[in-house]
Amino acid sequence: MDRALFAAASGMAAQQQNLDTIADDLANTDVAGFKGSVQRFAELVAPGEGGVGTVALGAHVLLGQGKLAKTGGPFDVAIDGPGFFAVLDARGHRAYTRDGEFERAADGTVRNAQGFRLEGLHVPANALSVSVAEDGNVRATFADGTRSIGRVRIAEFPAPDHLRSVGGSLFEATVRSGAPRDVLPGSESGPKLRFGMLERSNVAIIDAMMQILAAQRAYEANAKGVQAADEMLRIANNLQRG
Amino acid sequence: MDGITWAGSAMVAARTRLEIATQNLANVSTDGFARIGARGFLTPVGVAVDRRPVPGHGALRRTGRDFDLAIVGPGGFSVRDAAGAVGTTRAGAFTREADGTLRDAAGRTLLANGHALRVPDGARIDERGDVIAADTDATVDRLPLPPGSSVHAGFLEGASVDAIHEMVDVLCAERSFESAQKIVSAIDRTREKSSSDVARVK
Repeated sequence: MDRALFAAASGMAAQQQNLDTIADDLANTDVAGFKGSVQRFAELVAPGEGGVGTVALGAHVLLGQGKLAKTGGPFDVAIDGPGFFAVLDARGHRAYTRDGEFERAADGTVRNAQGFRLEGLHVPANALSVSVAEDGNVRATFADGTRSIGRVRIAEFPAPDHLRSVGGSLFEATVRSGAPRDVLPGSESGPKLRFGMLERSNVAIIDAMMQILAAQRAYEANAKGVQAADEMLRIANNLQRG
Repeated sequence: MDGITWAGSAMVAARTRLEIATQNLANVSTDGFARIGARGFLTPVGVAVDRRPVPGHGALRRTGRDFDLAIVGPGGFSVRDAAGAVGTTRAGAFTREADGTLRDAAGRTLLANGHALRVPDGARIDERGDVIAADTDATVDRLPLPPGSSVHAGFLEGASVDAIHEMVDVLCAERSFESAQKIVSAIDRTREKSSSDVARVK
């Protein structure tokens, strides 16, 4: 019975982690550039004894493209294709995101909602408006005409599946993801930038709801397994009384 | 063999059935998990239950990830763990590493005929298991498959566990355990009578 009890309990624990992952996805369906993830499981096998339950292996980030939505924000940029914007936080620490909701700060830098700065771009204070072309070229309109003031670059990773999620739509490079390489957008087969658009979260609410239902039922079934094992232990204890 | 031993073996068999059913239920979300079947049989020392994987595969579901692979037909993925042990799995959730090898969710490397399969940047895996380079359309590596099987990228094979079936097995195991316990108790009461009442001097 102990094995049955532990197997069923491991199933409950695994489904609990599954629910946590799905709930995180659902909570972030409105975050621009957010990437959903999925929990993976494996059978737990004791050497020589066979299966003794299940174990959650951790969440895989799903990097599929989110839908692009027209927003018309003054500095909204979406990446159509693979890659990330490289941004710097206040301490100069580098992170990567596909959330392209940027704004011109008073000091001429271009920052996102969390105050992270887009690398390598400075907008002169006297620029009236800016626009970003498909190839990343940033053009600013001044009182006396328009000129190019820089280029938005995209960071691509050899193994982007291994980037570490650090909250919301931010990611950090890891040893397994490899070093980023700078890519100029706008090439025939590469990523392109879409100005005035944002990439929505790639979580489909209906899928997530279906997964929640399935996980809840699986949790319930495993709880019944725990109950059955417990009931059988009670019956075994009653052997003595007759 | 007396009755108590027989009924006792039936209790152990029912416990094994419960263990198998809970093991299956616990893995209802494990990709590529093959349901374990319980088969009861008679031995000279009572009834016994053995466990064996049930032939048949789980349903495929679309995931859209490039290196989620599902095999249709027989066969499996040959994988090697960090300690060098080689195993076979049908759980096909692989991710591409920076060096072009594929690793499954447990961190094991996907093998092709003994060497680690290499997938260049941007390459894809077609239904025959060929790794096709993005720019030249040339086959650069090959995932071996048994004849008649095909591999589908962007899909995963779920567990071949049917929760209803397992819940019924849990109930059956519980009741069969209970019945066997009643028999043990009944025989025990009979013996109690013969040992205490028959010899009682009135």
